[in-house]
Amino acid sequence: MNAWLIAATVLLLGLIPCAVVMLRGSAIEALVGLQMAGVLETVVLLLLAEGFHRPAFFDLALVLALLALAGGLVFARMLERWV
Amino acid sequence: MSGASIAVVVLLTIGVAIELACCVGVLVMDDAYDKLHYVGPAAIVGPLVIAAAIVVRASLSQAGIKALLTAGLLMVTSPVLSHATARALYIRQRDHVEPGPGGRP
Repeated sequence: MNAWLIAATVLLLGLIPCAVVMLRGSAIEALVGLQMAGVLETVVLLLLAEGFHRPAFFDLALVLALLALAGGLVFARMLERWV
Repeated sequence: MSGASIAVVVLLTIGVAIELACCVGVLVMDDAYDKLHYVGPAAIVGPLVIAAAIVVRASLSQAGIKALLTAGLLMVTSPVLSHATARALYIRQRDHVEPGPGGRP
């Protein structure tokens, strides 16, 4: 286990506060938690790609960064009026 | 242990510490507006530091360029999403958007 994988594992602990916020907060606070979790997951995928020496895996982080924006915008638009 | 390895460990430690501190900030703040402030450093500073660590390790190879691209993408998209989230909260609280100088919302 190298430093990259250790960092990714430690970073996964950050998902616990995000989950608490998403489960206990209001709808908008849950969206903030989701946004934070998306950033964390993107960074974890970067670290895993480098830790496993697989440059192709960096594409996953890149795609997740794009899709997290799209998903977050859809949720934000929906929460403006409809929920 | 070479200088590059030490730099990688230091950058990784800083990046992970920033991300975890921001997670704690999101957890402990009372208001959604306050929580949003902690997403900024987590999406801008943290990924940039970790991408720098990857560049130190892999130089500007395919991995390094993609890591920088991902960090840059997060740097651009996160403020957009934060703005949309804050706007949604504002509208939910007031049920409208205040008109601007030209009467536009």
